[in-house]
Amino acid sequence: MQANKRVHADMIMKTGIRIAALCALGLGTMPAVQAADGECFESRDGASKVVQKEIGENLKNVECSDTTGAVLWWGDPYDGTQPMGDMPVEIEGEAVVKSRTAQLNLYPVCGVACHNGSFPAPVEADAPPRKLTMHMDLVPDSMNLQHGNGGIWCLDCHDAKTRNKLVDNAGNLVDFNQPQQLCGKCHGQVYRRWREGLHGKRIGEWAADGKKRWFVCTECHNPHDVQQGERKSGFAQITPEPAPKLPKNMDNADHERHHGH
Amino acid sequence: MTDQPKPNAPEDAAPDSMSRRGFVKDAGTLSATSLLGTAALMTNSDEAEANGNWAEWFQGNYRLMTQEEKDEAIARLERRYTNEYGKKVTVDSTPAEKGVLFGYALNIQKCIGCRRCAKACVEENNQSRGDQEIEWIRVLKMEKGEFNSVKMGDGYPESYGIQVGGNAYSASGVVLEGEHYYEPEKVPEEDAFYMPIACMQCEKPPCVKVCPVRTTYREPDGIVVVDYNWCIGCRMCIGACPYWARRFNWGEPNLPKEEMNPKTHYLGNRPRMKGVVEKCTFCVQRTRKGRYPACVEVCPVGARKFGNLLDPESEVRRVLADKRVFRLKAELNTYPKFFYYMD
Repeated sequence: MQANKRVHADMIMKTGIRIAALCALGLGTMPAVQAADGECFESRDGASKVVQKEIGENLKNVECSDTTGAVLWWGDPYDGTQPMGDMPVEIEGEAVVKSRTAQLNLYPVCGVACHNGSFPAPVEADAPPRKLTMHMDLVPDSMNLQHGNGGIWCLDCHDAKTRNKLVDNAGNLVDFNQPQQLCGKCHGQVYRRWREGLHGKRIGEWAADGKKRWFVCTECHNPHDVQQGERKSGFAQITPEPAPKLPKNMDNADHERHHGH
Repeated sequence: MTDQPKPNAPEDAAPDSMSRRGFVKDAGTLSATSLLGTAALMTNSDEAEANGNWAEWFQGNYRLMTQEEKDEAIARLERRYTNEYGKKVTVDSTPAEKGVLFGYALNIQKCIGCRRCAKACVEENNQSRGDQEIEWIRVLKMEKGEFNSVKMGDGYPESYGIQVGGNAYSASGVVLEGEHYYEPEKVPEEDAFYMPIACMQCEKPPCVKVCPVRTTYREPDGIVVVDYNWCIGCRMCIGACPYWARRFNWGEPNLPKEEMNPKTHYLGNRPRMKGVVEKCTFCVQRTRKGRYPACVEVCPVGARKFGNLLDPESEVRRVLADKRVFRLKAELNTYPKFFYYMD
């Protein structure tokens, strides 16, 4: 009986190790950003990919910038969207969003293969914070979390047991597709402005009761690096589009750059 | 013609069609054609084109045209553009909707100067590219500057104790004019803010006042538009605009077929011709169909808001109610419907 138990435990351990190894392998081979033909990003480089495709006669879903790879134009603002779901926005009219989980490569497996709720043994939510070495590839900023001035760590937002869900301060599970329900718990002012349609970005119809695609928090802000170090800005710097052409017979724009002229 | 060289003609003489004789002959044919009048012109080899040109030359001012005349002009343009750009081009003529007055608000605190709005605008509105590049939106990089007690009084006018930005002799505060041609690796740069400027769609537009042929006018929904066909290219409006919002097609516009946006409006993004003025129309082809302007949609920081000024629930009205708002050169009494705001 005792021996049996030990064998059983052994097996669990072995399976666990194998799964862990598989996970590590999967993580290791997963490039953070992969630029492919006709692939560009909507708002945040590397976090809001979209693949260019035909959606009608002479109509593409998006047009991308040749120089920066950013989406410049939406042929259909609602392409690939889903209803926003249980989300009290103050503006009337249909609200749709794009799935965030579709952008997370490991989302389909992370809650089953790697973190199934019992293995690896879940860390207590009130455990002393530590840096997360395991996920440096997934979360490049995991060793230097730039959120909350060092006051919060992984398990303040990620659920300790159900790893494919977020968790708010009251212990409610929050879907990755609805990050505003979590972010709004601390950033109430911004959240309110967003619901009113003042903060953030929407595309689609301009009418107050029109159909809009809403951009959710994590489409523009990197939750692991919202402070941006010294910049103290929630939006990461991006590459600008090229400057306009200089007027004819003008070689440079030095005239603009002289102080005290 | 014979193979024998003509007397006195040098070896490298121009081919016959280019020679004086050829020219005189062609000119003769031409004048004969002119004498024959309309009928002859219309039965020329390229009948469709000739018809189109003829009708276009004698087309009236769009604002004064009857519905039939408008329909006819639009059908003709659609045919011509479809032929010219090798794809189905539609020219829309949706009129202004009742109870709508378009307004725009831009958060100058949020703008990061990435210029995506300017490029999206070109993509949407069929502006000329390449050497003849035209952009309706220009983004100015402004120095944040430094206002402190030590430098107090350094500004112009001297000794007033108010620092207003330096003068020719003393640099203080903001000393740079706005920069159009900034090209850093990444934006936003430290110590800079950005100010995109396009047509303000004034309620009292100076450009409309000066147009000698009244081809530019204010539509009932507040958009100031140009009937390109009626424009004589005098550029009075460009001189009158205090916001530098109008552009002139100095050359034949360069619009590659594959990049051409086939969804156009007569008063908006239909292809322009050489010698006409163009400007921002709040994407009339989109906004009259309910859609946001292209620059609003592309802005990665959500700094651009657009909506109906007559609807208290619209985004732009909420901005006006909640934020600190200013209008550019408000002292000129142009009453812009483009508002800048801060959080």
